[in-house]
Amino acid sequence: MNSIVCITQVPDTETRIKIGGDGRSIDETGVKFVVSPYDEYALEEAVKIREAKGAGDVTVVCFGPERAQSAIRDCLARGATKAIHVIGDSLRADSLGIAKVLAAVIRSQPHDLVFVGKQGVGTDNSLVGPMLAELLGIAHVTVVTKLEVGDGKVTAYRETEIAEEVIECSLPALVAAQKGLNNPRFASIKGIMAAKKIAIESKTLADLGLAEGDVYETRVKVVAMELPREKPAGRKIDGSDPVAAAKEIVRYLHEEVKAF
Amino acid sequence: MAELPGIERETLEMDVVIVGGGPGGLATAMHLARLIKQHNDSGKGEKLEGLSIALLEKGKEIGSHGISGAVMDPRALDELIPDWRKKDCPAVAVGTDEMWYLTESGKIKAPIMPPPLQNHGNYVVSLAELLRWMEPFVAEAPEMNIFPEFPAARVLIEAGKVVGVRTADKGIDKNGEAKGNFEPGIDIRAKIVILAEGPRGTLTKQLYEQFDLGKGKNPQVFALGVKEIWEVPAGRFKPGQVIHTMGFPLDKETFGGAFIYGMKDNLVDIGMVVGLDARNPTTDSHHELQRLKTHPAIRAILEGGKLVAAGAKAIPEGGYFSMPKMWGDGFMIVGDSASYLNGARLKGVHLAMKSGMLAAEAALEALVAGDYSDAKLGAYERKFEASWAKTELWKDRNFHQGFEHGLYAGMINAGLGMITGGRGFGVANRLEATAGHERMERIKRYFASDDPHPPEKIKFDGKLTFDKVTDVYYGGVVHEENQPAHLLIRDTEVCITKCTEEYGNPCLHFCPANVYEPRPTDDGRGKVPFLNFTNCFHCKTCDILDPYQVITWVPPEGGGGPNYKKL
Repeated sequence: MNSIVCITQVPDTETRIKIGGDGRSIDETGVKFVVSPYDEYALEEAVKIREAKGAGDVTVVCFGPERAQSAIRDCLARGATKAIHVIGDSLRADSLGIAKVLAAVIRSQPHDLVFVGKQGVGTDNSLVGPMLAELLGIAHVTVVTKLEVGDGKVTAYRETEIAEEVIECSLPALVAAQKGLNNPRFASIKGIMAAKKIAIESKTLADLGLAEGDVYETRVKVVAMELPREKPAGRKIDGSDPVAAAKEIVRYLHEEVKAF
Repeated sequence: MAELPGIERETLEMDVVIVGGGPGGLATAMHLARLIKQHNDSGKGEKLEGLSIALLEKGKEIGSHGISGAVMDPRALDELIPDWRKKDCPAVAVGTDEMWYLTESGKIKAPIMPPPLQNHGNYVVSLAELLRWMEPFVAEAPEMNIFPEFPAARVLIEAGKVVGVRTADKGIDKNGEAKGNFEPGIDIRAKIVILAEGPRGTLTKQLYEQFDLGKGKNPQVFALGVKEIWEVPAGRFKPGQVIHTMGFPLDKETFGGAFIYGMKDNLVDIGMVVGLDARNPTTDSHHELQRLKTHPAIRAILEGGKLVAAGAKAIPEGGYFSMPKMWGDGFMIVGDSASYLNGARLKGVHLAMKSGMLAAEAALEALVAGDYSDAKLGAYERKFEASWAKTELWKDRNFHQGFEHGLYAGMINAGLGMITGGRGFGVANRLEATAGHERMERIKRYFASDDPHPPEKIKFDGKLTFDKVTDVYYGGVVHEENQPAHLLIRDTEVCITKCTEEYGNPCLHFCPANVYEPRPTDDGRGKVPFLNFTNCFHCKTCDILDPYQVITWVPPEGGGGPNYKKL
């Protein structure tokens, strides 16, 4: 069984984002970049399947700038066996552009399962996975919290607001991972050292037969970016007298928030 | 971090392992890699090929736990990276240099700068930034492996020799059970272990106890540096502008003072250094920094600005006579861990770097000879004794001890030292020192009252002055919540009985991060500490100053702690 794991590199979720000088991107100075958290579940699932089957490759595919190499290395340290890095300014690409790039790579690779995170943290569009599946002409299941691999098919458990859907689909298929799918491992020291020895195959858009116009700002363009308004400071209620504190909370909810 | 028992651990063979990615650790790594290359290129002796060096760092990345004032003396960096000025190093040359003595509401500017505080030719730097800038120079060596998020948990000792380190386990829950992603620490065996853990290192402490490294030396004496970064209105404070203050808000028997340094982009460092050897058990460095900011002269600098970052770190002030035996079979200790800091000049970055370079030289000789014994690695100390680092530390060897007798005695001692080449009060070659926790007085005695309720010294306004939790937030402190507390308290009964009674729980005051949060007792008689380990700045103060020495600081799960960018 061969799996492809598509990853994206995003600012560490603890980062305090600053808007860059152009007003439509973030200031990357001093920002630590990491593998997008949902992609970690995607990677872990692929690695677990490979470990269970004892065969096949887990190939990480990433479209992003040079700095994304550290994210790819991190995935190799956590069990991926191969990596392809399409170098480009992915921040200027919209979801369809990214999906096109990934599809161009994956078409030439053996793939029974294609994994993505359910969304890329930061842009949070949840679009790349389904678009990629359509471009590849394969089935897809999103927000997956449990996956069972059978013979030529998978059974995916999908979380919705009202129920859990159980979806069976034939391979190849694309799975978008949700938190809870597994417990992503830490990179081990030995894993990090072994990952250093794996060559990352790097490609350009031209190598994939794509033009810049196919990928960058094809339909969506960021025209401005601003930070959310600052939340007002929280209020502390003295809890030394629980009865008085409870009364104050009720009064606050009733009179100020008008919650009831 | 708890270490799960009965775990089979993998072993990794390395030649050299360095613990800590601060200025000492990075300088060690970089210089050693260069010396190996020079040796191999020289064609002399057998080549050292296929070597591997590991550098372990507990922070999320190199620099994320880096905090200092800092005005850096470039002397060591000139030796380590001679053309650093041409390599976009984030450093600002010191421009003006002032010393203020603060009274309650006034200031007296010193007409001449005391020589140790003259900073012409030095540079204002952010240690967090400087370390991030240094990392690529270190990482480019082929034998180098830098491992952020991997704290070392302990030194491996066999037959009285240091043979490696064990990394901390990851993925243990708050009850001490393995989680689904449990990743056991591994044993990294190495010919030479170099500890560069900063002040009060966990492994350094282990070796102090195992090999009695402090024998015949003064105990280490610490101070706590608490620091904020402010963005102030443009033109208010120049990049490279340096001010040091004494006096307010500290009383005349407490060691310490403040610093204000101008960085680029209208950022200003403002910090307070307070001795962790005060008699008053309620001494609170964070509160003193907040009080400092209310002084008219300081308020004038900050008003209209905003807080952008905060952090804290202990500082080893003991100087030359507190330096341990800094080597042994299979190990060397560099930087703050080995007391490489000049308290009189408020500087340690250059000494940490220099010590790393000296240790690297000794390490190379050992690798060439294939001899990692105590006798061979003793070359490190001989190199130190012959270096400018020794000359500098020797001159100020009695500086801190003078302050045990109060501010004025300390200043007189410092002055006489300057004339007599560092003699204590102008006569003694060596003044003894007392460990800070032993100087702390019992609360009833200090306040001369049977029922002492020391007054709250400050109310925080949320604009100029902030509580501890706010500073923790601005330090970017994050720890995995579901893990065991990384503060091991040997006897928690002492905390709520004896310590409350005798000292009034000094941890409530000395911890700058509200890790020890005051919570009312059931009987309403007072407040006792509740442990919030996830607030921790990794400053080490509790390990140092707790009067019963029952607290042991151990590294939490790798990557946890502050996330300093410009501190």
